[in-house]
Amino acid sequence: MSGRHALTPACFLGIVRAGCFYAPMDATMPQTRLNQIIGVIKADYMLVDREHLDIANELDFDGTVIVMEDILDTPVDEAVLSKAQKGLNELSPLYVIFTSGSTGVPKGVITSHHSLMCYIDAVSKVLSVDEADVFGSQSPLDYIAAVRDIYFPIKTGASTVIIPKNEFAMPTQLFDTLNKNKVTALCWSVAGVELPAKLGAFDTVKPEYLKKLCFSGSVMPCKYLKIWQQNLPDVLYVNQYGPTEATASCTYYIVKEQVDDDTVLPIGEPYENYTVTLLNEDGTATKPGEIGEICVSGPILALGYYGNPEKTSESFIQNPLNPNYRELIYKTGDLGSFDPDGILEFHGRKDRQIKHMGHRIELGEIEETAKQVEGVLDCCSLYYKEKEQLYLFYTGDATSKDIVIHFRKVLPGFMSPRKLINLETLPTLPNGKTDMQTLKSYFK
Amino acid sequence: MEELLEILSELRPDVDFENETALITDGILDSFDIVALVGELNDAFDIEIKPNNLVPDNFNSAKAMMALIEKLQDE
Repeated sequence: MSGRHALTPACFLGIVRAGCFYAPMDATMPQTRLNQIIGVIKADYMLVDREHLDIANELDFDGTVIVMEDILDTPVDEAVLSKAQKGLNELSPLYVIFTSGSTGVPKGVITSHHSLMCYIDAVSKVLSVDEADVFGSQSPLDYIAAVRDIYFPIKTGASTVIIPKNEFAMPTQLFDTLNKNKVTALCWSVAGVELPAKLGAFDTVKPEYLKKLCFSGSVMPCKYLKIWQQNLPDVLYVNQYGPTEATASCTYYIVKEQVDDDTVLPIGEPYENYTVTLLNEDGTATKPGEIGEICVSGPILALGYYGNPEKTSESFIQNPLNPNYRELIYKTGDLGSFDPDGILEFHGRKDRQIKHMGHRIELGEIEETAKQVEGVLDCCSLYYKEKEQLYLFYTGDATSKDIVIHFRKVLPGFMSPRKLINLETLPTLPNGKTDMQTLKSYFK
Repeated sequence: MEELLEILSELRPDVDFENETALITDGILDSFDIVALVGELNDAFDIEIKPNNLVPDNFNSAKAMMALIEKLQDE
């Protein structure tokens, strides 16, 4: 557990070199969240930077806490290291990264060394990453999107600059930082790419060294990409799609066209070593052009959810189209269709998972959390996509302040509802379920 | 000032805007708060906050924000 600085990835690598795997935690997360992660992973050791030692000591952690700064100068003992690495293979876990779970407990996605190498190889080719590249890291370091910024340098000799988080609130300063560090490449969340365009940063300054911009995490609203294209016409723009369970991304689309406000970008074709299959609800293959659930297979599949074999076998299943040999697929829960050229198009979710500010959120987790607040009787959380606002409709006498304060205590900020609406009763459908369409008409 | 504090407390009911003086520097307000806030301030006070105005000094406290709003209203 640590802050946003270069020591953090250095410690990840140190842990791996010692024959172990890591589960990164961002020290700015609420304590409840950190304790949930600790409860799932049950680690023997926690590495923490000195700045966050007090927080670490307050967590429900039974193992040994080690301060990063204290062990930096430990001499390398090759004999101990080689002994620790015995028994490891390419399929050994490299890291466990946590994502939102619908029951209110986060799920730890386990990625192997082999999967990560397949992914980094494939993306480096598409982006032609080389040692001259300088990446500007936007992603929180405990989040899946950071793996590119961390592992590109190791594969290619490129560099990565970790951009301080609060610069994203001040876009002119952000672009100045990119220029000061001569940043050539960005792998950002769509939300991060939108921000400077939304706040008009291009009126003042442009990232003049930028050559490639790869974005992922949610659907890109092209009115903002258009602003990037108009200001930086020679940059390579790549739209990426994929879940943490398939090592960060599984398909990519190189934007060749000049986009317009209403352009919808496809999610493209699978990366090398990724296979994408579309399945109907009943496990049969979709007909050409039809919409089906996007299922992924290949050596990039995660090893499952840490300590959760039930959830793992629900989501990672034998390919129903293959009766002949073992071939696992991951069911993403996303819907897609192939166009006649085999380019994949995205059609949203089949369940109640949403993408907000680049993060996966289960609306069920928001509701479970709201129900923990005294004075909340019933509730329903919905996402107002056009305005990117998380709504909570609730009954009971809790104030919106009570609810938000509780959320800020137990969940990351991006999971806190922005608009809270207190109702006498939640509207229901004839079958007794909450009438979400009526609730959506209350969006403002 | 009251109108501003009302907007701020609706945006982030968990923050003590009357006393905080390092909202940006300490990362209390994040980039998404700022995007939402800029839109609301522009509408409520009939101003146009420009990228040049988006520096920590203008947003670190409610007082600083009020000064920015008044400056922009005079222009």
